[in-house]
Amino acid sequence: MSGATWLSYSLQDFVMFGPEVFLRLFARINQDLWPWLLLWPLAGLVLPWFGRQAAELPRRLAMALAGLAWIGCGYLFLVRYYGPVNWPATRFGWAFVVQGLFLLILKGRALPGPMAWPVAVSWWLAVLLLPWLSVLEMPDLWAIALFGLAPGVTVAATVLLFAGQPSPLRWLLLMLPLVWSLFSAATYWALGTFWLMGFPVATLVLLVVALRFNPSPAQNPGSQSVHRGPGRQSP
Amino acid sequence: MLELSRRRFLIGVGLSGLAVASPRLMAAGSSAGEQTFHSRPIPSTGESVPAIGMGTWITFNVGGDQYLIDERTRVLETFLERNGTVIDCSPMYGSAADVIGAGLDKLGAHDRIFAATKIWTSDGSETREQAATSERRWGIDRFDLLQVHNLLAWQEHLVTLKEMKAEGRVRYLGITTSHGRRHRELARIMETEPLDFVQLTYNVLDREAEERLLPLARERGIAVIVNRPFQGGSLFRRFQSEPLPSWAPEAGVGNWAEFFLKFIISHPAVTCAIPATTRVEHMQENMGAMYGQLPDTSQRRMMADYVRQL
Repeated sequence: MSGATWLSYSLQDFVMFGPEVFLRLFARINQDLWPWLLLWPLAGLVLPWFGRQAAELPRRLAMALAGLAWIGCGYLFLVRYYGPVNWPATRFGWAFVVQGLFLLILKGRALPGPMAWPVAVSWWLAVLLLPWLSVLEMPDLWAIALFGLAPGVTVAATVLLFAGQPSPLRWLLLMLPLVWSLFSAATYWALGTFWLMGFPVATLVLLVVALRFNPSPAQNPGSQSVHRGPGRQSP
Repeated sequence: MLELSRRRFLIGVGLSGLAVASPRLMAAGSSAGEQTFHSRPIPSTGESVPAIGMGTWITFNVGGDQYLIDERTRVLETFLERNGTVIDCSPMYGSAADVIGAGLDKLGAHDRIFAATKIWTSDGSETREQAATSERRWGIDRFDLLQVHNLLAWQEHLVTLKEMKAEGRVRYLGITTSHGRRHRELARIMETEPLDFVQLTYNVLDREAEERLLPLARERGIAVIVNRPFQGGSLFRRFQSEPLPSWAPEAGVGNWAEFFLKFIISHPAVTCAIPATTRVEHMQENMGAMYGQLPDTSQRRMMADYVRQL
């Protein structure tokens, strides 16, 4: 196809499902996994508590929980539920699973120091407030977008962890969240589900917060080794 | 010689029954009265198909959502109850083929449809494999119509489709485009290839096809399926709040769906329009366009002028 032909397409031409189908994905996955789905937001709520510990083991656990959340929303939401109506979602889903496995392998090594208070508070706000965006879009409590299942909330919260990593690991981990945010923003725009634009917007805002409140590795000489103590103290 | 399968036989019996029940129903394009049922002959065989079919882009791609699968099955049931037969899909439409298959299974309606899908792959050697996959997903033995989707690898696919037609693996072959794209290339193909069908975008606002493609289809004896008859729904969004013109009843138009669809199927080159919907009441409105009087040439001009001035 020529460039001119490609230019004649609009964003809407690439979205092959309707808003009702997409919003019902949240409700369907929640109904199918009830009541076990409550474990995911619970994990999301305790994660910052682990992340703020000075000891290495809880921080390893925090990163492992983040990895499991990525695997959960990658395989369950994206591959199993979203993929059948939108084939790029399947590819994103497997990429999420790979990123989650990567986080599991990294464990505590990727969480160089205790999580700063502003970062922890931002995390809790993300996990508690963002899930309601999908309920605002589709007035049904079942449509709540839970951490660990819904990619928007999971990505927005976990960029807070990724942004605190030393380069180049930081950017390696942030690559997929940023590409996903772009993809999902385009999808929500095309679907006209504007409340859901809050997910990619929140991701960017939280990324800025994390970059502001997480010290650079240069300020944090102890961050490169799992065998040392945390390179910085939380305020 | 035209092969008479059980499916074709049943469709024929159904249409014959309709004719017996109400002789005015089968006037096939005449405007004998309000109950006129509009079907159109496929030029290459003379077989008739109803002038309103059903598209499935976006609307039938609901994944594994059983609630929505049941809803779409009710839409399909309404379509069949109102004597629709032509259903169009594509492997590009996500889960739509599976949802059609589930609906046909539930309604036991595999024998009541004119099944049309597309070949959508840039690999010219995958024509048969993709057709077989689509047959499995629909739950049918073979398609009535296989079309090359958006001219993708059309040279290779058409070679195989012609072979498949000769073998009786498909009854008709065609090629599609949409959104008014690549009309010049489509015209060249229509001029040189033995096509039974073309599919293109045509509606009261997008009328480029009137200049070359529709006259060429008549000249070459090619049936025309019209996609995007509502411009992806935007015609309703733009005009639904406006009143119908005072002369609409004289043109056989009772609502905006009929206005848009009757404008299309009243063009002499058009065989069938394939609106898509997710709602039973909209399907009822769409199928209403297949009955009653159609606008004549001057009324069609008035229709186009009316929406333009709105």
